[in-house]
Amino acid sequence: MKKYIIITSLLLMTILIWSSCKKDQPIDEDGLLITTRSECYVSNFELLGADFQTVRSKAPVIDTVACTIQQEVFFGTDLKNLWPQFTLVTDAKLDPKITGKVDFSDLANPKKYTVVSGNRQVRKTYTVIITVQK
Amino acid sequence: MRGKYFSYISLVCASLLMATACTKDGDYEVPKPKNELQNDCIKRSLGPNLVGLNIEFAYAIGIPAAKGKLVSAQVVASIPGVQVKPGDQANSATYLQDSSFYTNGSGVDVPVKVGDRSVTKEGANVVTFTKDTNAVTLRYFYRIPEEARGRTVKFTFTATSSNGETVSYDMGPYTIAKMDMKLNLTPTNNNKCYLSIADLALYNAAEAAANPDKIDLVYLYRNLSVQFGHALVAPAAPKDYLPGVTLPANVNRDTKLSKAWNVQDFHLAGLKYGTTFVDDVDFEKLDMSASPDFALGLKEEGGVWVETSDGKYRAYIFVNKVDNTAQSARISIKRYTLK
Repeated sequence: MKKYIIITSLLLMTILIWSSCKKDQPIDEDGLLITTRSECYVSNFELLGADFQTVRSKAPVIDTVACTIQQEVFFGTDLKNLWPQFTLVTDAKLDPKITGKVDFSDLANPKKYTVVSGNRQVRKTYTVIITVQK
Repeated sequence: MRGKYFSYISLVCASLLMATACTKDGDYEVPKPKNELQNDCIKRSLGPNLVGLNIEFAYAIGIPAAKGKLVSAQVVASIPGVQVKPGDQANSATYLQDSSFYTNGSGVDVPVKVGDRSVTKEGANVVTFTKDTNAVTLRYFYRIPEEARGRTVKFTFTATSSNGETVSYDMGPYTIAKMDMKLNLTPTNNNKCYLSIADLALYNAAEAAANPDKIDLVYLYRNLSVQFGHALVAPAAPKDYLPGVTLPANVNRDTKLSKAWNVQDFHLAGLKYGTTFVDDVDFEKLDMSASPDFALGLKEEGGVWVETSDGKYRAYIFVNKVDNTAQSARISIKRYTLK
């Protein structure tokens, strides 16, 4: 009888230890899943005006090697109140986050956004170069 | 000993379970109608209450046939509504409708005249019933007068029956909006193109020169290689945004503008939309500190938020229609006075 109790206890302990060692999926400081993906690029870019309608006069030119996004906007665009939207590769995220309207009016000093890969190991900083239609 | 306790506990638990299981919901009973004159009222109109528009109610009255019939109904507003003046068109002022309605098979409301046309007696709109009726729903249209702007208004609906009974129903208080509204202004390129928010009017160059301190915006249409189209531009905006415009002397105000979409205000857009309203609070919360002084490429059913350079007015301009051939537009404005 005593033997059975010991065996059962041992089994239970093994299960407990095994379950306690099982790791949770890693999560970053934003509560986003850290995955194994190392791809890190912007696949599309959109720019909305104060009325949330596009201000793009052309499709964006995204250079994933030089890490630049060149975007021409309509003549008369309110550059101080723009809402950029980045489409990123799976699992990647953007830094800084876009939380509201962004002032792009300083055309001489383009805004920079960093794309962070799914495994959080690769970081690429893109420069958003805005030109106004003439 | 232990077994005894167990049996007690089990008994208590079982009783509790049975008690909860046996708790019956209250049986539904068909409500018994009150054997007296009764009334009820709902507000039918939606959105902010603007001076010059109606607040509409439906007032229902009923009495059991054995008790008598309806004699009269009346409404008293705490601030009297606009009253009919000689020469006014019918239904252009505050009145209590003299008809009850039923909806026919095609979904059309068909009126049944039940009383005399409403008359105003000592601030009350009164309908005296001429039909031998004991249940009606009358509609009440309160045309909001200028005196009510920014104030609250209450209504007391009253009905009397042939057996001497009287019932009343209070509605409100309802806040009357501070804002003004102007519908269907038609600015035209290079002609009636100077817009005054203060006057809610359009001027040509000569008139603008006579009122330079009132001109807030210039309407222009340009078909250029860049997107320009229909635009509203402050006189003080960079010349690039006023191509070919020679401003009259002293027209130089720097109005702020912010384009908007999906703000198809029900009052400004007409009966096409029914869920969006620009209200006083929208103007109060508006932050235009970082807005530019031009809005190019305006589209039909789009709009522009406006703040005048002296900070006296905020407005919302809705673009009802644009016409590239006639080089004109049709716009409607709601204006809120800040100072």
